[in-house]
Amino acid sequence: MRKKWRSGLGLSAAAVLAFTVACSNGNNNNGGSNASGSASPANSSTASQPAAASYKDSLKIAVTAQPPTLDSATTASALALDIAGNIFETLFTLNGNYEPTPVLAESYEKSEDGLTYTIKLRQGVKFHNGKELTSDDVVASMNRWLATSSRAKTLLEEANFSASDATTVVLKLAKPNPDVLVLLSAQAAFPAIFPKEVIEAAPAEGITDYIGTGPYKLAEWKQDQYIHLVRNDDYASPEGEPSGFAGKKEAATPNIYYYFVPDNATRVAGVKSGEYDVADSIPTENFEELSADSNVALSSYPGGTLTAFLNSSEGAFKNEKLRQAAVAALNDEDILLASFANPDLYKLDPGFMNPDQTQWASTAGSEYYNQNDQEKAKQLLKDAGYNGEKIVLLTTPDYSEMYAATLVIQEELKQVGFNVEVLSSDFATFLKTKDEHSKWNLMVTSNGYQLIPPQLLAVTQSWVGLDDAQVKASVATISSEADPAAAKAEWDKLQGYLYEQAYSAVIGHYNEVVATSKKVEGFSQFVGPVLWNAKVAK
Amino acid sequence: MLAYLAKRLLSLVPVLLVITIATFMLIHIMPGGPAAAILGLEATQSDTDALNEAMGFDRPIAEQYINWIGGLFRGDLGDSLFLHQPVGQAISEHLGPTFSLAVVAEVIALLLAIPLGILAAYKRDSALDQLVRSLSLVGMAVPGFLLALFLMLFVGVRLHWLPIAGYAPLADGVWAHYRYLILPGISLGTIQAALIMRMTRSSMLEVLHLNFIKTVRSKGLRESKVLLKHALRNAFIPILTVIGQTFGTLVTGAVIIETIFNIPGIGQLVINSIERRDYTVIQGVVLTVTLLYVLINLIVDLLYGAVDPRVRLDRK
Repeated sequence: MRKKWRSGLGLSAAAVLAFTVACSNGNNNNGGSNASGSASPANSSTASQPAAASYKDSLKIAVTAQPPTLDSATTASALALDIAGNIFETLFTLNGNYEPTPVLAESYEKSEDGLTYTIKLRQGVKFHNGKELTSDDVVASMNRWLATSSRAKTLLEEANFSASDATTVVLKLAKPNPDVLVLLSAQAAFPAIFPKEVIEAAPAEGITDYIGTGPYKLAEWKQDQYIHLVRNDDYASPEGEPSGFAGKKEAATPNIYYYFVPDNATRVAGVKSGEYDVADSIPTENFEELSADSNVALSSYPGGTLTAFLNSSEGAFKNEKLRQAAVAALNDEDILLASFANPDLYKLDPGFMNPDQTQWASTAGSEYYNQNDQEKAKQLLKDAGYNGEKIVLLTTPDYSEMYAATLVIQEELKQVGFNVEVLSSDFATFLKTKDEHSKWNLMVTSNGYQLIPPQLLAVTQSWVGLDDAQVKASVATISSEADPAAAKAEWDKLQGYLYEQAYSAVIGHYNEVVATSKKVEGFSQFVGPVLWNAKVAK
Repeated sequence: MLAYLAKRLLSLVPVLLVITIATFMLIHIMPGGPAAAILGLEATQSDTDALNEAMGFDRPIAEQYINWIGGLFRGDLGDSLFLHQPVGQAISEHLGPTFSLAVVAEVIALLLAIPLGILAAYKRDSALDQLVRSLSLVGMAVPGFLLALFLMLFVGVRLHWLPIAGYAPLADGVWAHYRYLILPGISLGTIQAALIMRMTRSSMLEVLHLNFIKTVRSKGLRESKVLLKHALRNAFIPILTVIGQTFGTLVTGAVIIETIFNIPGIGQLVINSIERRDYTVIQGVVLTVTLLYVLINLIVDLLYGAVDPRVRLDRK
């Protein structure tokens, strides 16, 4: 899911800001270049000073909202996971090539039958409370994760961790799963390692005592204002070149502040004025305005897919031909332009998985992708004997890209003869309505990438009620197939089948945009912003 | 006087009771729940149900209400579902910024409105009067968020004079505190100023025609004294009413400006809580805001007596 945009006010505010910038740029161009001209000599003079003195002692990042919790195992909120990633660590994490890499683990061995993983822990790692990490902590944390995280529950059924000595843990599986390490490394609901005592003392709603092993400690969480992290001076970093979430973590800046700034225009203005060093989730309509600003660097990274889900469990779209008609009518290019405003920020590609992740990237079903074939759609409607039954598109204006896409789809479906209505409500109501399958027929959501196909919402029954034996069989095969090539072939088949049956259709892939001040060094992006090696020049 | 005060405070009880029942019902009619908001889009139905049960939302509404109101009588507003802190603490933390902002905005409004309003009345139909009246129309017509964005852009981004957003408590120092409140204060204050200015002008005009003004003028009193000591004091009751109302609005309704300038006040708290379906906080805030509004009205009523001794509140 993309991070939250507060659209009503936010959009109009951003539009006004964009307008005023457009107006003022014409008059003040000279002023602007003078200002930056006079600023640069100052910069070069500070750069020549000794290194320690020339960097700020805090880095400020503006994010869209306050996260619900920092207990990673209980939440799918990308924002919570981004912040928690500074405080907590996992046994394994992903490097820049999406490969599992040890963090708190040192090494592992897999048994012949693929059912037992013996994981050796790195020694000399200390929690923020001074306690040394042992296998007891890992076992308590991992078993809690297996029991709480909905992903772990479904994908690693009946798995169990136990300690064999103080620095070794053993993972036992009920059936072989080639993607175990990927699941242990994935950022979504990641299995953070807590001290055993914290887990034992935690209330039912989740852990609130945020003690980890990471490069930063939680100093203060000021409700609805900021989260303040301070450097963990006893941090024992893994070795290696930084890549993705793996490699050396320096905790380069002593303090990190995550400010909660829900208003888009305020985040944009804040990074321009230098109030914030980094601004997360830049609205696509501000992309050009910020690229023209000489003090701001923009980086975009693949964020996820915008996908249309058709409700095949109840209502008109139980009829396969009507679903196929709807998918045939889609002009994905128009939908993406309406949703993301700038062609540099989206990509047409039929794959449900990240196109950069070579193991799973697939173009199967591309004959059903971006068809924009009105004649075919009309014919399918006729064949299905469509009687003008109302088709309800479910959406929420709280996520502007989902809302914009829905409105374009409404128009496209109308043109081929569907009787379409949009059901729009605030996000919490939307979540509730989504589970009432009799109330809607199609919805568009933007979702972050998954690492393996069985994690995809498009094949998850609880998501929109998809109940298809062939889909389930394919998922089971992919989950247990040890040969990567065979697993990939099965996924190709499954993706093609999802398109052919028109259960869901990818509309396109979007980029997330993050703005940083040009003074920020060592900042990188992976699945989210990586701040532990970032520093800000004075 | 005390009897009057007691009567007014006692009459609050039924008002607040009705408000709590109404909010409680409205909140529970609203679709969606806190569990879904905490767990996010990709949570399964069973996860959501389990969390709802853990938080006690599977119980009948009447039972939930009685539990809550019972806590209220013990001075306990409950715990926030999302913020992991008691509601009373959450409200008091958010009330500080809102109150500071309201005071700054009101001071800016009064500094603008009262002198301009008096001058406009004094120089009735002059060019100055026309200008002041047009300005007040513009002030009322321009939406606060537009002014806020212009101020943010020019004073914050271009000139770098003031921070574009954020908040620091008074404990961090007077300037650190107020520098964050000036831009939002101006954005809020100008709209209120327009209202107060119009009221000051028309109220002054009425009084300036009266015979006692002629009398004090014929005594040879200085014009400034005539205006400020005699006319303004007699014209002040309707102005005070507007000031009370505007202050009430500022304390309870600065949602948009608080969002734009990222001030962690009551307005932000209420909007965030509605989005997060943080039931206990919504109930607590509505109750507090109602109480504040009623109290501000009460204070204004009491001030009438102080401004104009002819007003006696405790008489039937």
